[in-house]
Amino acid sequence: MATSLPFLGYGLGLRNEYYEQILEQSPAVDWFEVISENYLVQGGKALYYLDAIAERYPLVMHGVSLSIGGPHALDFDYLKQIKQLAERIQPAWVSDHLCWSRGNAHQLHDLLPLPYTEESLYYVAGRVRQVQDVLQRPLVLENVSSYVRAKADEFCEWEFLNALAHLSGCQLLLDVNNVYVSARNHGFDPWTFICNLPPQSIRQLHLAGHRDYGDYVVDTHDHPVCDPVWALYQQTLAHIGPVSTLLERDDHFPPFQELLDELTKARQLGASALAGRALCA
Amino acid sequence: MRLTDWQLAFEAHLLNDAPAQDHGFAATLRGGPSLDVDTGLAIYHNAYRARLLDVLRHDFSAVRYWLGDDEFAALAGAYVRRYPSEHYSLRWLGERFATFILEHLAQEHGAPLAELARLEWAFTLAFDAPHGEPLTLADMAELPPQAWPGLQVAWVPSVQQLGCHFNSLAIWRAAKDNGDFPGSHAVEPAQTCLVWRHEQVCRYRTLEPAEASALTTMVTTGGCFAELCAQLAVTYAEGAPLQAVTWLKQWVQDGLLQYRAA
Ligand SMILES: [Fe+2]
Repeated sequence: MATSLPFLGYGLGLRNEYYEQILEQSPAVDWFEVISENYLVQGGKALYYLDAIAERYPLVMHGVSLSIGGPHALDFDYLKQIKQLAERIQPAWVSDHLCWSRGNAHQLHDLLPLPYTEESLYYVAGRVRQVQDVLQRPLVLENVSSYVRAKADEFCEWEFLNALAHLSGCQLLLDVNNVYVSARNHGFDPWTFICNLPPQSIRQLHLAGHRDYGDYVVDTHDHPVCDPVWALYQQTLAHIGPVSTLLERDDHFPPFQELLDELTKARQLGASALAGRALCA
Repeated sequence: MRLTDWQLAFEAHLLNDAPAQDHGFAATLRGGPSLDVDTGLAIYHNAYRARLLDVLRHDFSAVRYWLGDDEFAALAGAYVRRYPSEHYSLRWLGERFATFILEHLAQEHGAPLAELARLEWAFTLAFDAPHGEPLTLADMAELPPQAWPGLQVAWVPSVQQLGCHFNSLAIWRAAKDNGDFPGSHAVEPAQTCLVWRHEQVCRYRTLEPAEASALTTMVTTGGCFAELCAQLAVTYAEGAPLQAVTWLKQWVQDGLLQYRAA
């Protein structure tokens, strides 16, 4: 069950806007998630703060450019750098996204959706195993938000994630906001998605804000978490038990205290969802 | 459609100037209850451009300050069409921006603008270069007298040297201070500007010709301290060692130097 995976508690995405405050105030954040690519450099401020923060807080590495489903060969040089960074900061785990971000020739720098077909499944599962062989640890993959779907889909997204975890041994980073965004955009029930995932594979949750355009929703990470996502989050915890939870903010950075307050909310709502679960058990 | 072909069609859609008129790719997609395929594709198309433009606006804020938002966006758009991103990290997106400006614009506008872009890029390079092993005044104090004549130094890895033929530094400063555009003009003779990182902060300064020449002797060509003194003796006579020590102390305090590897 999920409880057998390490529970880090409630964390924040580490962003350079907050480096100094983190070191000065030692805020009550249980752990930080770092964007791996920001630290694949040879020196400078980012690495300096990373090392200092790594001494005080547990870290998790979250990549954005593995392109596990891309049409190109896997970039083993990149993987080597990821592995070296992992040796340096000893993250609790290493994650990226179930997507592709690089085309045949060029980097596209976006988390692009895959068709959920048998062809994709075996292709991605094979690549996950190669990555895990290099990193010598399970890869954790996040569900992405999407704005189009392929007509060729043979599975729905949660069936694909289930099969992928089963075939490759990867674990899942369940982004609750991304489920909500994709559910609105594609017209499926977000709870059906979540309750059909294998609970024992869910290593981490993401919470974030989005922009609601009425007819559709765009995953922007520049707003506080919205009420339906909080509700989905509580339902998720009540269903699977304690899971390390991370609050993401990537734009329109508020004063640090506002993020800490939002993290406190995640903690309180999480605790009450878990308490309700204990009562039912 | 095979997975690879579908992805290549998606990539072509993103790289196209306008969202594809050819709906061959759109025909492979399914929309949602209130999000149609064209809108979905436009979200990806816009996000691709906006993300790249954002990075260039940040890394070349002085070029943007000079050109204004619209002209900068047009230039940046032309750049990513000509040189799409090839590195997994957006940190390297602007690597060829200065070169592209020279190729793309007429000489009289392109040369000063490219120089400003090169200056801004030098700051990004200094920002995350390896730390190296900067010499300190304490290291110098411990150097035994007999070791001085043979002393050889090198730049720390973050040092970037630029020859400035225009008032690029003045424009760069005006951009940082949000001041009035000082106009662009040539400077005669060209100045040498150093950009480097010292204790996690990026720094810059221009060099007078005599100091630039001393640094060339001592650092670029790898001469030893005795050679620097000999060169300075032409101008400074018996004051040469004092001038050499004064400069060396300044360079060490600035965090520019490390021991030259044997
Ligand atoms: Fe996420």
